[in-house]
Amino acid sequence: MASRPDETGGQQISRRGFLGWVSGAGIVGSFAAGALSTYVFLKPRVTYGEPNKFLIGRPEDFPSGARMAIDTRRVCIVREGNKIAAISTTCTHLGCIVAPSPVGFACPCHGSHFDVDGNVTGGPAPKALAWYKVSLTPSGELEVDKDNEIQIGSYLTV
Amino acid sequence: MRVALAVFSVLVLAVTGVVVYNQFQSTWQDNQKAYFNQALTLAKSDVERAALTGREPKIEQTIVSGFGAQRIDRCTSCHIAVDDPRFDSAKQPLKTHPYSEAMGDVLKNGHWQRKHNFTDFGCTTCHDGQGRGLTVADAHGEEEFWPSPMLGYTTQGDWKKENADHLKGAAFLQANCAQCHTDKDFKGTPEVAKGRELFFKKGCFGCHRIDGLSAGTLGPDLTQIGKERKLDYLWGHTADPRAYSATSIMPKFQMTDAERTSIVIFLKSRHGNSQSESDVQKYVNKTAASVVLPESATALEGAEAAKMSQVERGEKLIHGLACLSCHKLDAQDGGISPDLGYEGMERDDQWLMAHFKSPRSRIPDSNMPAFGLPDADYEALTAYLLSRKTPPSNATSAELYKQLCSRCHGEKGDGKGPNWLYMDPAPRDLTSAPFMNSKPRERFINSLHEGVAGTSMPAWGKVLNDDQINGLMTYVEQTFVKTPRNPIKARKIPDANPQKSTPESIAHGQEIFLQRCTGCHGRKADGNGPNAMDISPRPRNLLNSAFVNKASDHRLFESIEYGVDGTAMPSWIDSYSQNDVGDIINFIRSLNATGK
Amino acid sequence: MTNEKKSLWKNVVELPGNFWRSIFRNPLPSSDRERAATSFTNFFLHIQPVRVNKRTLKPTTTFGLGLISFYLFIILTLTGILLMFYYVPSTTQAYDRMLDLRSSVAFGIILRNLHRWAAHAMVAVVFLHMCRVFLTGSYKPPREFNWIVGVVLFILTLFSSFTGYLLPWDQLAFWAITVGTSIAGYAPFIGKMLKFMLLGDVTVGQEALLRFYVLHVVVLPVVLITFVGVHFWRIRKDGGLAKPEVEDEPKAITAPVAAPVAVSAEGGRKFTVQGLVRGAFVKVGVLDEDTVFSWPNLLIAELAVLMFTVAVLMVVSYFFNAPLEHPVNVMHPPNPAKAPWYFLGLQEQVSYSAFWGGVGVPALELLLLVLVPYIDRGKEGIGVWFSRKRFLANLLFLIFVVINVFLIIVGTFFRGANWQFVSPF
Repeated sequence: MASRPDETGGQQISRRGFLGWVSGAGIVGSFAAGALSTYVFLKPRVTYGEPNKFLIGRPEDFPSGARMAIDTRRVCIVREGNKIAAISTTCTHLGCIVAPSPVGFACPCHGSHFDVDGNVTGGPAPKALAWYKVSLTPSGELEVDKDNEIQIGSYLTV
Repeated sequence: MRVALAVFSVLVLAVTGVVVYNQFQSTWQDNQKAYFNQALTLAKSDVERAALTGREPKIEQTIVSGFGAQRIDRCTSCHIAVDDPRFDSAKQPLKTHPYSEAMGDVLKNGHWQRKHNFTDFGCTTCHDGQGRGLTVADAHGEEEFWPSPMLGYTTQGDWKKENADHLKGAAFLQANCAQCHTDKDFKGTPEVAKGRELFFKKGCFGCHRIDGLSAGTLGPDLTQIGKERKLDYLWGHTADPRAYSATSIMPKFQMTDAERTSIVIFLKSRHGNSQSESDVQKYVNKTAASVVLPESATALEGAEAAKMSQVERGEKLIHGLACLSCHKLDAQDGGISPDLGYEGMERDDQWLMAHFKSPRSRIPDSNMPAFGLPDADYEALTAYLLSRKTPPSNATSAELYKQLCSRCHGEKGDGKGPNWLYMDPAPRDLTSAPFMNSKPRERFINSLHEGVAGTSMPAWGKVLNDDQINGLMTYVEQTFVKTPRNPIKARKIPDANPQKSTPESIAHGQEIFLQRCTGCHGRKADGNGPNAMDISPRPRNLLNSAFVNKASDHRLFESIEYGVDGTAMPSWIDSYSQNDVGDIINFIRSLNATGK
Repeated sequence: MTNEKKSLWKNVVELPGNFWRSIFRNPLPSSDRERAATSFTNFFLHIQPVRVNKRTLKPTTTFGLGLISFYLFIILTLTGILLMFYYVPSTTQAYDRMLDLRSSVAFGIILRNLHRWAAHAMVAVVFLHMCRVFLTGSYKPPREFNWIVGVVLFILTLFSSFTGYLLPWDQLAFWAITVGTSIAGYAPFIGKMLKFMLLGDVTVGQEALLRFYVLHVVVLPVVLITFVGVHFWRIRKDGGLAKPEVEDEPKAITAPVAAPVAVSAEGGRKFTVQGLVRGAFVKVGVLDEDTVFSWPNLLIAELAVLMFTVAVLMVVSYFFNAPLEHPVNVMHPPNPAKAPWYFLGLQEQVSYSAFWGGVGVPALELLLLVLVPYIDRGKEGIGVWFSRKRFLANLLFLIFVVINVFLIIVGTFFRGANWQFVSPF
């Protein structure tokens, strides 16, 4: 299939044009699909660190009034009556771990203060601490999903 | 060229398209979608329903770091309902993992609480299989190369059909339970306990070492066998060792399928590093010098045993220990090793004791391990064997042969009785007329009378009378040799070695030996020359002192000069003078003279 | 002020166009001059001549083998870089990462397959390319040195493939590298040292894995790219593909000395001379009949070969998974333990004689390969397949090829447990 020298003929031009379009579509299409695949490939589907969705125990493990910070998971489990919530303990300023204090949370790095619901009360923090979705699994355990931020003040009622 | 370009471009686009399409069509995605749909119908609140409709399939995984090396289990990507009690009657893969009180799960406030929490244990800690896999073949370990397919569930493609049928069932999971629950009497692992008992009862402990359990050295160390081998190998190798390793000396032990299942589960549970043991404990087990005695033996050390006589104790021991998983005694027969019924008449107490302590000191190529029991036990066993004095009932020669000889020499006299594979030297092939007719009858009578030193052939003269022995010999000649004996041509053989055993003579003998004999008898004269495996009967082990020292110069001269008919030993009379042969004999004798 | 404003406005309006033209300096060519300029001014195209001989484009002249080798290298580089995102050169993690490529990493398995099969294919295609060059006598002066560069590239290809073989850290990899490096250990004087340097330890382990990884992803590719550059540059400077002598040579002239020949863009001038060319191989004057413009003829041919290569690889990778055997178990070598297939000829030779099979014969073969263009300097039969005038040379080379291929086939298919002869059927 040696290519012919550049002789031109009416019919050949359209044939060539057609072949050119087909080839172009194939190459560009494959390239696009390849680029898309590369993006999908590079975006991790699993991570090897602490999972973002985890079980924390049963509702009865947390007595009313409990404010239990789980440092390894970077959340604080709060229970008031039959309402349960999970508040992030990652400072919204620069990512330090905030410590629960009697009046809310305090960041040891740059002195940000938050109230019991995580609203900023002082310091450089730009916004309130995130609240994560807490749900009850069918087996009766509490599950926190850190990928799912919810509005401040929305509790799970158990 | 342009056409080619167009065709290939489209082809590339098409294949890329197929690959991309397939990437988003996985079984685990389908399974999760099915779960979401079914859960939707079971959902009780709107919130729950909203959460389910918004859920997209994603890979679920548990990172297990508490039990040995870190593992990642993605099983719940398909088995997403394992912890959802509403799916207990659903079909796999969407079935709830059963709750079981035996496993410590408790029912509290209407909710089952698992003792073995999946977020802590993952799945493969108990089930094996390949946790990272996301297809059935990958995850269940069906693929031939995966070292730990799901226990009792998955059969790999290369497993032998006849083994595979035996390797299914939840009982196999006990091998993994025992990783943490090492307690011998743990009620969750009865099969492991049974297997451990059999390990001692069948005599496995005599040859195999398991750190902290046994100290055998004849066979491979089994401390980690469960980690190294799959069920198929464990089952197949215990059923027929030589089918898996051609040169194995391990006998085929008689076991029922149930017993073999227990042994396999026990072996599979040997991972070498039990999770519940500290590193220090592992080190102690590994370096323990003292041998752990089988329970059957230690049980006889109690107060009741003290009241027994030596003979009674010996009788208990011989039945309680592993002896009869190889040997025959009265009605019990392991089918591997000689009949012990008349051993007490044939051997004396010295021989028996020495043989117990080290079987190879008496029969150098014996496959019997030194079990390392306390001397008191050996004394009791010896006393019991010596107490058995009843000779076999008076019967015809044919019956005697069947009763006493056929176990080794075979019912057809071809030297292939049930035990022959485990005998070294092998039992004589009595049908080999060239051999049988090249030796005078007196020699065979003598062997029957006095036995053959250094082999398993005992001295029947102490059990049978001369008539019986003569009758047996005649029976062998008529039934097996068949060919009538021709007069043996006179052979020029000196009765005593004409060469004095001097260092020069020995050196010369060694020179010739290294030149001509090593191909079969081996450079160490141990009968393991490079050709030895292809020769039947195998070349004589010339380091078998008991045998060599008993053999007369006359016999050695005859064997070397004229060869041994019916065997691979050729005649050397044309190559070497009598003096040369004398030197060779001096060399061979010098090898066996050490320590005497 | 207004002028300045106006021109600023104008520049802003024209910015997209100017930006575009600054990148693509030529419009889609419609005249010969533009076709020439396109090849000449484009970074990626200027490695090629403006015009090529029609012979060059005929598939049977080269079968595109050199080009395919190059494309395979590109594919290997791209897939290799992507795989590096998920690979960890650690004995405890490498195998797990292979499993992850099969399960949790999107497109992981196809990438691994592409990389694996392309690596095998590259070894084979580079060797075939070498055969083509020999059998058409294309290594003869002035291309002697480029032949040597080619031999070096072949060896680099082998080593790139060999170092990559260890990375999955399965039984296949572990024992193949154990066997392969042991063959290297047979070299006189330096063998032991060489093996120790390669493995970083006395046996294959974590150190070996790390070393092979570094060699595989950095050292060898960089060296390889450098030599590929030299190889391509030399092809141009040595006058393109080797051409058979034309029977009547009246039109052929020799560039007198190494003097630059300017390319001017004035009308009527043919855009033919490629620059600084030595020797008698430049034939000005026959160009009209024998050559065509590179744009688009060569470009289309090259693209077609690229798409052919990718298509074949994709299809193979879709249907066949790269092997992944048991995780490494240093206590249980498989029987037989085999080196990668391209070293099985060596392993077969080693089974006869450790020194001669592993070192003597290969070194001799390599030396002969390197020396061939300096021994065989005749001008006959250049650029023609199986030229009668090169009967002896081609015969000897074919014997060399057949023996080596035969040994590899024997080693691959006819050797079973204990390196005994077995029938593969």
